[in-house]
Amino acid sequence: MSLTVEKILLEFSPRAENILPAIRQISLVFGYVDEEKTGKIADYFSVTKTQIYETASFYDNINTEKQPPFVVRVCFSTHCALSDAKKIIAEIENILHIKLGDVNHPKFKLEMMSCVGRCGEGPVVMVNGKVYERVTVSSVYEMLEEYL
Amino acid sequence: MAKTEKILTKNWGHINPLKIADYINVGGYGALKKFVSEMKPQTAIAEIVKSKLSGRGGAGFLTGEKLKIVAENASHEKYFICNLEESEPGTYKDRMIVDNDPHLLLEGVIIAALAVGAHKAYLYLNGNYHKQKEILETALEAARKKNFWGPGIMGSSYDLDIEIFSGAGAYICGEETALLNSIEGRRGEPRLRPPYPTETGLFGKPTCVNNAETIANIPWIILNSGKKYAKLGATCSPGMKLYILGGSVKKPGVVEAPTGLTIRELIDEIGGGVTLGKEFWFAQIGGASGHLVTEKELDTPLTFSRDCPIPLGSGSILVVDKSANIYDLILSWTEFFRRESCGKCVPCREGTFRLHEIVSRWQDGEISERDREALKDILWTLENTTFCPLGRFAATAMGDAVEKLKILCK
Repeated sequence: MSLTVEKILLEFSPRAENILPAIRQISLVFGYVDEEKTGKIADYFSVTKTQIYETASFYDNINTEKQPPFVVRVCFSTHCALSDAKKIIAEIENILHIKLGDVNHPKFKLEMMSCVGRCGEGPVVMVNGKVYERVTVSSVYEMLEEYL
Repeated sequence: MAKTEKILTKNWGHINPLKIADYINVGGYGALKKFVSEMKPQTAIAEIVKSKLSGRGGAGFLTGEKLKIVAENASHEKYFICNLEESEPGTYKDRMIVDNDPHLLLEGVIIAALAVGAHKAYLYLNGNYHKQKEILETALEAARKKNFWGPGIMGSSYDLDIEIFSGAGAYICGEETALLNSIEGRRGEPRLRPPYPTETGLFGKPTCVNNAETIANIPWIILNSGKKYAKLGATCSPGMKLYILGGSVKKPGVVEAPTGLTIRELIDEIGGGVTLGKEFWFAQIGGASGHLVTEKELDTPLTFSRDCPIPLGSGSILVVDKSANIYDLILSWTEFFRRESCGKCVPCREGTFRLHEIVSRWQDGEISERDREALKDILWTLENTTFCPLGRFAATAMGDAVEKLKILCK
């Protein structure tokens, strides 16, 4: 039995405070919320499609476009920046043969992210939601090995 | 520095945060019991007003006054929201509260929500705090079984429903009106104030939004009286505060200490001083949106008072030594605000973008004459014309870097 948008929506009662959790859940299960899914969510909550798209496109943790299988996100906020996050980014670029922000790679995407509240344990890297703390230039390869 | 009583961190490391029995054994939920059996909502709020507790999220608004405005509103439907969004870089105190003592926070939420007459409370949690969500879910479940929330709390006529609302990753949602929009399923853009959320908040009803750390102080105030709380720390904004020390200090981490300490005391006595072999350059107070402090200002006491030249903000203290890469640091501020600007108002949307462009062009310590002029204009615009405080925050640290550190000047 596979999950469909409709089945996920039925877990939420159609009230305004469930809109964001529902979009988030659908984005998590399918990887992104496209126009078709946006329409279904809008119908379920009896709001306009625009409102759902507006909300979905605003938040960092919700995607409105199909993502490559592995999204590598490096924190570049104050504390991590001071502990050489720039060098980590350069090393990841080297290993994965991609550029920061490149959207055309079939397998990987590398982007910067905002603080995730682990400032004591920086630099922080997140691969598909899995968090790696105290990453060093020499430990980058080891971290990425399982995804290569 | 005299040793003072711990309020927020007294149980950290001593109890199992997942076991409600541990918390009850050390006197937990005693304040709730006292509130339900002996106090009226008005007396509880009067105690909080007397304590002069101010908002720990950064703005420093008096909590008692805020609760009072909502409590005095005649509306039958009111909401109470605990703000655990906490996306300010360098700030993780609320996460530590949840990690180490979730029931202290819950007890505070329950008392404050009942005092203002709300029947529904939300815990607005940062979207990246997955583990903390599980901890809070376990804690809520346990507290419900003990009848600390739900219908007829501890045999009284109080009803309260508590729900965790997970954000989806947006810095601006820490701003209370943006947070409300987010719960309503809209873009997390700030609303025009007034009307303030205390009158027209979530779904148009009076809403009280408080930072998690603020709320965690409430059980102590209920048990020990507001008068006693007002004697702790600085007279203008008394109480205990969680400081988050980071960067080049010997002992980084979250520490509880009274308000009104000087920055030097915090770095030297609590943080153990600057890391060996490093030379102090400047400190940033209150996360990426905070002011920079150089050597000669280190003796300024930090408080929430508006007269204080350096606001305490979220309590984060970042020590930067002379070997730090200032280019990366400045780029991290502008990159952060460019990404997190919500796009509602032009000065902030464009300003943060152009600011980042200028800083990206800044190499080898030199920028062009034209960029330098533009920088001045952009900083002024961000400072004075943006819709919400985010724009001002984006300009704070940059402005200080230009003014105090003489960076981007030639």
